[in-house]
Amino acid sequence: MLMSLQNSLEIAGFNVLSASDGAVAMKKLEGGAKPDLIITDINMPNMGGIEFIGKARGLPGFRFIPILALTTESQQAKRDEAKKLGATGWLLKPVGGADLSKIIRQVLPGA
Amino acid sequence: MTVAKLDEAIDSLSIDSVGAMLDTHLQLDEAIDTRLQAVMADTESSAAAIIQQMRQLYDAARNLVQILSGTSVKSEGMGADILASMSGLVEIGAFIEKLPTTMKRDLESVKQVADEITTLSELVGEIQTISLQSHMLAINAAIQASHAGSSGAAFQVVAKEMHALASNTKDVATRINKGLTRARHVVEHGIATSITDSSSRLDVVSHASKSIEKLRDSLGYMSEHYQARIATVTRHNEALARDIAEVLGQIQYQDVVRQAIERIRTAITARNDFLQGAVEAAINRDAHFGTLPAQLEMIFSDFVTEEDHHRHSALVAVEGGSEPRIELF
Repeated sequence: MLMSLQNSLEIAGFNVLSASDGAVAMKKLEGGAKPDLIITDINMPNMGGIEFIGKARGLPGFRFIPILALTTESQQAKRDEAKKLGATGWLLKPVGGADLSKIIRQVLPGA
Repeated sequence: MTVAKLDEAIDSLSIDSVGAMLDTHLQLDEAIDTRLQAVMADTESSAAAIIQQMRQLYDAARNLVQILSGTSVKSEGMGADILASMSGLVEIGAFIEKLPTTMKRDLESVKQVADEITTLSELVGEIQTISLQSHMLAINAAIQASHAGSSGAAFQVVAKEMHALASNTKDVATRINKGLTRARHVVEHGIATSITDSSSRLDVVSHASKSIEKLRDSLGYMSEHYQARIATVTRHNEALARDIAEVLGQIQYQDVVRQAIERIRTAITARNDFLQGAVEAAINRDAHFGTLPAQLEMIFSDFVTEEDHHRHSALVAVEGGSEPRIELF
């Protein structure tokens, strides 16, 4: 999944910094990584996407960085929870390269 | 089998035999689980291989686009250079085309020179006449001087000098005439040769400009042709790159399948735990034995609910789903 997404984004011309789960991603953000956009899965080992969204939003300087959830999970309650914690959008897998680029450009004008 | 025989068979089942059946059941599930894990690993590794190969394909397509783009830029530059050179050639062609007229004019000038030489030859004839007349005068002067005797001696000298002058004039006029004759022959021969040699070439020269223009048009057409071909190939490669990106998106289904298998494995594990607990409750005559149906119902319900939460990830659209696939908050 990670490999597929990374390649799709790189092909679309984006520089990609990847992490295997929420905990690894948090370490990278706390270590100084400052992406323009975050795309996270929801069902992940160690730290799931919902928890990651909440923690990432709590970091200084991450209040307005778009966070998209890309998941197989369609449960409305989880969507609502993610939205409440600061997610920017909810994408159900699979999302094609063109759709993904379109959405990214919607939430990141000028990208 | 009759109902009575069935009851008899059920009564004959001991806890040990039920336990043995459960063991076999668990072994079966373990084998199924092992296979499911292998399927997950296979789909994951094949998806990774597909992604790598698609990426290589994309990189190749992108490199081709870059090469074609560079070629296009170079050919545009070459086309501009060729067109600039062609403009120069067209000017040369126009110059060459005017050459027959120029040469004709130059020949006319040379002919005028020949005419002038002829006129000069006529003047040489007049000089020779003057020389003859001077010679006659010198003879007459010499006769008159001899008639005058000693008083005419000085005049005799003048008569001799006149005679010498007339002779010299005649010699010079003869040499000039010969020179003019040779010059006239050279000029007339040159004119004749020039006309003979150039008459056939002038026809070719007169088409030089048209040939160059045709060449320019052909080069222009060829340049446009290749530009169009390059643009077409570039367009197809860009479409190929877009398709590759879409294929990479579709490979996300491997993750969908993996998660579905994980949910199935979770449900199987819960059911097996339940069965194990049920047997133990039966052996121990557990007071909560009566809640077992509800527990199993809950395992079933959890599985169905969880699957319902993922029904949008099905490859074929599922009815009843109202949640959007993409939602921006």
